[in-house]
Amino acid sequence: MSQFFNYAVPGVPFGCVFALMSVGLVLTYKASGVFNLAFGAQAFVSALAYVSLVQDGWPRWAATVIAVAVIGPVVGIVLDRLLFRRIRTASPLVKLVPSLGLLVALPQVALIIAGSTPTIPPPAIVGDAQRVYLHVGSVPISGLELSISVSTVVVVSVLVALFRFTPVGLEMRAVVESPRMTELAGINAGRVSAFAWILSSMMAALAGVLLSPLYSQLDPQNFTVLLVWGVAGAVIGRFSSLPLALLGGLGLGVAQQVVAGYLPAGVIANGLRPSLPFVVLLVFLPLARQRQVADPLAGCDPPSSAVERGTTGYRSASTLATSEGSVHTVGLWHQRLEARPRGRMTGLLARRPTATFSWVAAVVAVASALTWVPPDWLLTMNQGVAFAVIFLSLTLLTGMSGQISLCQATFAGLGGFMAGQLANHFGLPVVLGMVAGGLLAGALGVLVAVPTLRLAGLPLALATLAFALLADNILFPNSWIGNGASGVTVPRPSAGPVSFAAAKPFFVLSLGVLAVAAGIVKLVGDGTLGRYLSAVRGSELAANSVGIDVYRLRVLVFALSAALAGVGGALFGSLEGSLSANDFGYQISAVLLVVVAIVGLGSITGAVVAGVVYTTLQVAVTSLPARFAGLVAVLFGLATLSYTRHPEGFLDVLSGRVQSVVAERRARRLEGGPTGSGPRPALPGVGATKDADPVAEGAG
Amino acid sequence: MTAPALLVATGITKQFGGILALDHVSLDVAAGEAVGVVGPNGAGKTTLFNCLFGLDDPDEGSVVFDGRSIDRLPVWKRSRLGIGRTFQRMELFEGMTVADHLLVAEQAASGTFRIWRDLLHRGGPTPAELHHVEEVLGLLGLVELAGRPVDTLDLGHGRLVELGRAMMGRPRLLMLDEPSSGLDAEDTSRLARILGETRRSTGVAVVLVEHDLALVEATVDRLYVLNFGKVLASGGVDEVLADPEVRRAYLGTTA
Repeated sequence: MSQFFNYAVPGVPFGCVFALMSVGLVLTYKASGVFNLAFGAQAFVSALAYVSLVQDGWPRWAATVIAVAVIGPVVGIVLDRLLFRRIRTASPLVKLVPSLGLLVALPQVALIIAGSTPTIPPPAIVGDAQRVYLHVGSVPISGLELSISVSTVVVVSVLVALFRFTPVGLEMRAVVESPRMTELAGINAGRVSAFAWILSSMMAALAGVLLSPLYSQLDPQNFTVLLVWGVAGAVIGRFSSLPLALLGGLGLGVAQQVVAGYLPAGVIANGLRPSLPFVVLLVFLPLARQRQVADPLAGCDPPSSAVERGTTGYRSASTLATSEGSVHTVGLWHQRLEARPRGRMTGLLARRPTATFSWVAAVVAVASALTWVPPDWLLTMNQGVAFAVIFLSLTLLTGMSGQISLCQATFAGLGGFMAGQLANHFGLPVVLGMVAGGLLAGALGVLVAVPTLRLAGLPLALATLAFALLADNILFPNSWIGNGASGVTVPRPSAGPVSFAAAKPFFVLSLGVLAVAAGIVKLVGDGTLGRYLSAVRGSELAANSVGIDVYRLRVLVFALSAALAGVGGALFGSLEGSLSANDFGYQISAVLLVVVAIVGLGSITGAVVAGVVYTTLQVAVTSLPARFAGLVAVLFGLATLSYTRHPEGFLDVLSGRVQSVVAERRARRLEGGPTGSGPRPALPGVGATKDADPVAEGAG
Repeated sequence: MTAPALLVATGITKQFGGILALDHVSLDVAAGEAVGVVGPNGAGKTTLFNCLFGLDDPDEGSVVFDGRSIDRLPVWKRSRLGIGRTFQRMELFEGMTVADHLLVAEQAASGTFRIWRDLLHRGGPTPAELHHVEEVLGLLGLVELAGRPVDTLDLGHGRLVELGRAMMGRPRLLMLDEPSSGLDAEDTSRLARILGETRRSTGVAVVLVEHDLALVEATVDRLYVLNFGKVLASGGVDEVLADPEVRRAYLGTTA
C-alpha cells in the first residue's frame, strides 16, 4: 500500500494539469458545441509567452498573469470569433478539421511572433521548483508539485463558486443545456458562450504554464500529448460532466505514474504509460455516446446551410438523373452512359473544363517527369504520388463514408514496415511486400474498426487518435515492426528482369500503383457501394431502415481504406529506401486529414492534388530558411480558417468558378448569335457620329 | 379476424430512467390491414414504433413478424424481412436525388452486398430495379421530380419520397410515423389518396401513428389509443372514438 502511495502521490501534479485540460475541453464543448483540439496549441502559446517573459527578466507572477489572464483568453476569443462560432452546428468533420489545423499551425505561428525559442528551462510559477517543502507520508513534495496542486485547487474552487453562486454561472449552465432555449428566455447565448471560451482558454493557458516546468525544454509535442490526456479525461466525463472530467483527469495523472511504477522498465512499460489514453477511450467512449442529450429544440431547427449540412463528401457519378429532371429513369441511365465525354475537344472543354484541365496537367507533369525534370524534383513528384495513394484512402473513408480517421498515417507506416521486414527477413519481393503490407494494414483496420465503429463522428475520431498513439508507443518501437528510431530499410522492387531501382522506372511503377488505387476508389464510389455510402452519409438511421447493414459497410470501408494507406506507405518507404516511426507518427495523420480536407475530399483529383501540395510544402519547409518555413505554417493556418467557409475544398471552389465563367461565356455567345445584339443604346451626350464601333455600325 | 396475423407485439414495456414510456402494450396487425395508433403527445407512440422496428430494445415483451420472432434482429434485418418505415422528423439522404433514394432502397432490399460485382461492372442498376423505381415514382406521382435533389423538395414531396423509399423493398408492413405532420390540408389529402392507392395496388399492411383524425379515418380499419404508455382502448374507429374515456384523454372533455 505504501508502495502504491509512493507511486501515486507524484502523479497528482500531472493529474491536476490533465484535469484542467479536461474541464476546459468539456466546458467549451458544452457551451459552443466544438470539441476544441486546438487547446493543446493554446496551452503551448501561453507557456511560450510565460517562459519568454521570464527569460526577459519579468517577475514570475507577472509573467503568469500576462500568460494566463491576458494571452490565454485573447487567443481563445479570437479563435471563437474568427472560427468556432461559425461552425457550431456543422458536421463533425467541419468542426474537427479547423481545430486540428490550428493544433499544428498555432505553435509555429507563436514561435514566429516570439522570434526564438526560449533557452532557459521553464521555471515554476512560485517558489523554488526543486526545494522540498513538505512530505506527504514519506513522499517529498517539491515546490513545483506544490505550486501546481495548489493553483489547480484554487482555480477549481473559483470555478465551482462561479457556477453555483453567480448569475453568469447559472446562464452558462442553461446555455450548456440548450443554447436556443436560453436565447428564448432573453439571454444572449453568444455572450455567455464567449464567457465560457474565456474561462476555458484561461484553463488551457494555466495548464500550459503549469506543465512547462515538468519538462526541461518547451516543445509543442509535449502539449499535444497533454491534450490527448485531457481528451481522455473529458471522455471519462462523458463530454458533459465537469466534475467527472475533473476526476478523470486527476485519476489519469495518478494512474500513469502508478502503471509506470509497478511495471518493469522496458519497451512495454514505457509504451504502456502513453497508451493509457487509448484504453480509457476504448472503454469510456461507448458510454459517452449514450449519454449525449439532444437539444430539446433540435426539432425546430431551421433548414441548415450547405456548410452545416457538411455537403463535403464524395460526389458519386452514379446519380441517376440530371438536374433538369427526368421522364424515364431507364432511358436516362443509358443516355448517361452514352453521354460520357468522348466528343470533340472543344465540346469536352465546354462541358467539363476543369476535368479536361486536370488531365492535361497530369499528362504534362508525367511527360516532364520522364524527360527533363531534375532528379530531386522527380523525387518530390514521386513522393507526391505515394502520398496521393494515402490521401485516396481518406477520400474513400472520409469523403465517401463520412468517417473520420486520425490513424491513416499509422496504417501507412504499418504497411511500409511490413513490406520492408518481409523483404529483409524472408526475401519476399517488395512488390508482393507492398500487397502484404496493404493486407496487414487492412486486417489491422478490421481490428480497430470492430470495437470503434459503433461510434461515429467525434468519438470515432478520438478513438482512432488513441489507436495511433498506441501504435506509436507499442507497435512502432518493436524490432519486428518499426524497429524504433533506427527504422526499417525498404528496398526498391524488381519484377523478374525489370528493375525499378532507378528513379524513372520507380516513378512509372508508382503511377501504376496510384492508377490502381484510384481505380478502386472510383469503382467503389460510382457503384452500388458508393450509393449505399452516400445514403449512410445522408442519414444513418434511414439507411439502416431500408435494409443497409451500416455497421458492416463501415467496417468494410475502414478496412479497405486502411489497406490503401498501407500500400501508399509501402510505396513511400520503398521510394525513400527506409522508413522510421517518425515518418508516420500520430501527428502526421492529423496533418494528412487537414490537408486533404482543405484541398477537397470530393474527388480523386482532390487526393492527387493533396499529395502534390503536401510534398511541396514539405520541401518548402526543409529547404527554405527557418523564417520562411514558419510562413508555411501561417499559410496552413490561414487555409484552415478558410476551410470553414468552403468545406467542400478549394478544388471545388476553383472548378466551380471556372465552370461558371465558361457557362457565362457560352451563354453570351449564344445570345450574341446572328439574331442577337440589337443596336447599342447611344449614351446621352455621346454622339453617334463619333462612334466607330463596327458592331454598332453594322447593327445600326 | 379472417386474415392471418402479420405482426404481433405482446406486452411491450420500455422504461427511460424514471419514466415508464410503454407499459405492457400489445398490438397486432393482420396481413393487408391498416391499423391506427393515436394518443396525446408523449403517450409513447414513437417509442412503440422504435421498439417494433428495432431502434429501441424493449425491456419486456416480444415482437413476432410473419410467425417469426424478430426480437433479436437489428433494424436492417427487420427491414429486409418486409417492414418499411417513415420517420416523424424526416430522414432523407441529403444531396441524393429522388430517383436515387428509391434506387438505393431497392438495391439494399434485394439482399447481399455485391462487392465484387460492384467492383467489376460498376454496379449499374439492373433494368428490373429501374423499372420498379419507375413504377413507384409513378404511383407516388413523383416522376416529374425524379431528378431533383431532395434538398430542393418541399415537405409534402419529401414525405412522399420517404414513403416511396419505404415501399421499395416490397414490404408487407408499412409503419408511418405522423406522415402528415407539417403538411397543409391539400398535401394531406393527396397523401391519403396515395396511401389508399398504394394499399389497393400492393395489399400492404399499415400501422399509422397520426394526429390528423381525418387521415386516420380515411385510412385505417382499426384503432389503438395510447395514453401514458398504456393501451386505453382499441377496436373499430367509430366505436373507439366514441368511447367517453378516449374523448376525455385525447380529444378533450368539451366534445
